[in-house]
Amino acid sequence: MNVIQSRFGEIEYDPQAVLHFPHGLIGFEDLRDFVVMPNEKDGPLFWIQSVEDAQVALVLTDPTNFFPTYMVEPEVHERKVLGMEGEDKWHALVVVTVDTDRKVTLNLVAPILFAPHTNRAIQVILESSGYSIQTPLPVIEQSAGKPNAKSGEGASEKTVARG
Amino acid sequence: MLVLTRKVGEGIIIGDDIKLTVVEIKGGTVRIGIDAPQDKKIYREELYAQIKAQNRSSTGWTLDDLSLLSGTISRKSEENK
Repeated sequence: MNVIQSRFGEIEYDPQAVLHFPHGLIGFEDLRDFVVMPNEKDGPLFWIQSVEDAQVALVLTDPTNFFPTYMVEPEVHERKVLGMEGEDKWHALVVVTVDTDRKVTLNLVAPILFAPHTNRAIQVILESSGYSIQTPLPVIEQSAGKPNAKSGEGASEKTVARG
Repeated sequence: MLVLTRKVGEGIIIGDDIKLTVVEIKGGTVRIGIDAPQDKKIYREELYAQIKAQNRSSTGWTLDDLSLLSGTISRKSEENK
């Protein structure tokens, strides 16, 4: 086991189990290795801590928890970077932003494709996807009096409509 | 910076495998066609800058945020299923 420092204190990790980004993350191109940290509470959020920079940790989630039809397939060159062969599986994850008033958004434009077989990941950009880099979590309509509330504010936002 | 003047339909070759073509000029907007190998990443500059900034601003959360949100979000995603 190795030990690194983080904003949250000391973290012990298995160097064999790190998530490797051969190209780094966008804006953090030099940071290649991340430790995957399970969330202590239940729920779809988890986080990754940079091995190389104690200050950098990102919250990630599987976007299909919120947008069930969201799907991103790796392109040929991305499969190469991920070391994927044949029918190897992959998962699309997205970066979660928690802003200062605890408003949560998902970056659906720049998903992280993860290949479990090789433990490699790559952040890709979806050009002209119509998604937003600050997609609010879908609003669950609970009030029975507003069955058509969906057609209002969210209608122009493709991501909300898809969710 | 190298600056070249091109007309509609004219192009620019960069290296062996990248070709830019001016497709259309209309008002203050230029449409540019790009032929490049698939592994060359091509993005609109401002989109790339936005994602960079978004990634950077996604590193400011705290463990308190995470545990607080986990409760509300897991409920939401359950309802969504």
